[in-house]
Amino acid sequence: MNIDYDFLKSKARERQYMRVNKFSFRKLIIHAILIIWCTSIGMLLYFMITSSFKTNKTVFKQLWALPEKLSIVNFAKAWSNLNFGRYTFNSVFVVIISVILIIVISAPASYALTRMKMRFAQPMTFFYLAGMGIPIQLLFIPLFKIMASLNLVNTLPGLIIVYTALSIPFTVFLLTGFFISIPSELEDAAFIDGCNEFQAFFKVMVPMATPGIVTAAIFNFIGLWNEYMLALVFITGNENKTLSLGLYSLYSSLQYTSDWVSIFAGSVLVIIPTAIIFIILSEKLISGITMGAIK
Amino acid sequence: MNKRRKYIAWIFLAPSLILYLYFFVYPTIEAIRISFYKWSGFTVNMEFIGFKNFSKLISDDSFLAALKNTLLLLVIGGIGIFLLAFIFALLLGSGIKGKKLYRAVIFFPYIIAPVVHSIYWGLLVYNPRTGILNQLFNLLNIEILAKISFTDISHIFGSVLFVVIWVNVGFYLILLMAGIERIPPYLYEAARIEGATELQMFFKITLPLLREVLVIAIIFWGINAIKMFDLLYAFGGILPPRSLWTNAIYLYIVGFGKRDPIFQLGYASAIGVVTLLLVVIIAFIIRKLIRREIYEY
Repeated sequence: MNIDYDFLKSKARERQYMRVNKFSFRKLIIHAILIIWCTSIGMLLYFMITSSFKTNKTVFKQLWALPEKLSIVNFAKAWSNLNFGRYTFNSVFVVIISVILIIVISAPASYALTRMKMRFAQPMTFFYLAGMGIPIQLLFIPLFKIMASLNLVNTLPGLIIVYTALSIPFTVFLLTGFFISIPSELEDAAFIDGCNEFQAFFKVMVPMATPGIVTAAIFNFIGLWNEYMLALVFITGNENKTLSLGLYSLYSSLQYTSDWVSIFAGSVLVIIPTAIIFIILSEKLISGITMGAIK
Repeated sequence: MNKRRKYIAWIFLAPSLILYLYFFVYPTIEAIRISFYKWSGFTVNMEFIGFKNFSKLISDDSFLAALKNTLLLLVIGGIGIFLLAFIFALLLGSGIKGKKLYRAVIFFPYIIAPVVHSIYWGLLVYNPRTGILNQLFNLLNIEILAKISFTDISHIFGSVLFVVIWVNVGFYLILLMAGIERIPPYLYEAARIEGATELQMFFKITLPLLREVLVIAIIFWGINAIKMFDLLYAFGGILPPRSLWTNAIYLYIVGFGKRDPIFQLGYASAIGVVTLLLVVIIAFIIRKLIRREIYEY
């Protein structure tokens, strides 16, 4: 069937023109719906941030009001007295090292699974991806036993190993999506120019897959920064807690302390890094999810 | 050359494979084995009891309640998320201004720590004494809603379910929008000329052509819903009430439960194995339901 595209286009333009005039009321409604939803999201930031500057006496009485003064006393207290400074250091250390390790081991694996024409590539890929379906809680007990036998319970390196190993399936899932879409001509050209596999990987494939690697890194950073379940299991002492776990512990001891504003200050500390990443990189992240998950 | 390449492929694979096998695959198998034993963790002795842990599960009210919550979270949460994600995708696809900004803002809660959501919603929104929701309903004069205590045991799961939907919609919106944008626009134009309504176009063009993306998105939701822990566990404060327990939480409480140490490690593993079976069954059902051929375009 021949489709007269020019006719369709002019028709479409006509319709679009009509729509703009005819349905501006409809657009108003659409904007209204979206703005209400987005307001509920903005409120989270508004209440968390304003509450973190208030005092325990006033915070719930004047929930809607702006804080009287911008004193950082709650943050200072959380940072030093409540150990959040230490927790922040732990989180930064654990999460950054984990993300680097995850990428360093998952990128070559994804390359091998998609591009190296290895035998069993398909079943091996499935074997990796199957890990995504395992309920992590199932691993708690045996993994705890393994970590205990290696003397790695309640240590930051132990947590790094757990984070790295458990992030492999999802990262491989994302990265294979990227590697598979790189045209093979580039790789062939590299081999003709005399590159070996390692050079081809580092000089040709890694630069080509950078958007995917960045997406995987951001995704893992956000996920691990926010995670507290595994930390709850594998970190038993106070000094090794991560920020999210520290915040959880503070929140769950609430009924003894009633120190609300410290909790809000702690929450703001937890939000800051992911929010900054989001503001700078949200478009990259969104297009990365799209490319990686939908092949 | 090719032979050499195959051999080198294993070098590329080795570091991840070793970690994955030792810290992920081996514990999975080990957990399945432990589920057939009675074991407190303190002694080396593990008593083999066959399927007894599993038969005990069937008559355990706490487990059945947790299983019910897991399924509710999966199904009701999933319906809510995908319904809203579709609505937002259509609203954003209607040619309005600020599409990217709206999409980014709707996605924003997804990158915030679950424990922060628990604190915000639990303390500042739902709590009848300290939260804004009851105040808001009072202000709007909606008495029926103003009277409800959203953190009450009978309502708390519904309250959390809404938060789960609110947090996750943005992620699935991105997937759906990406899928919709890949559908060639001439299909819609041709349909319009034939006189199709918006609704017909949605069911006859958008939905069928979205099948592939939808399968990925639904499976992704399924496995994440069943694993979900952080948000629900923190929501209840020091120990989540039983009405909030899912399989994931119940397993943790039985295995590690800090406040009330029980350490029934074999039993806890059995909960995990049942949960794993649930994932397998669900993945299978989704594949079967949405199988049919994938349209080429």
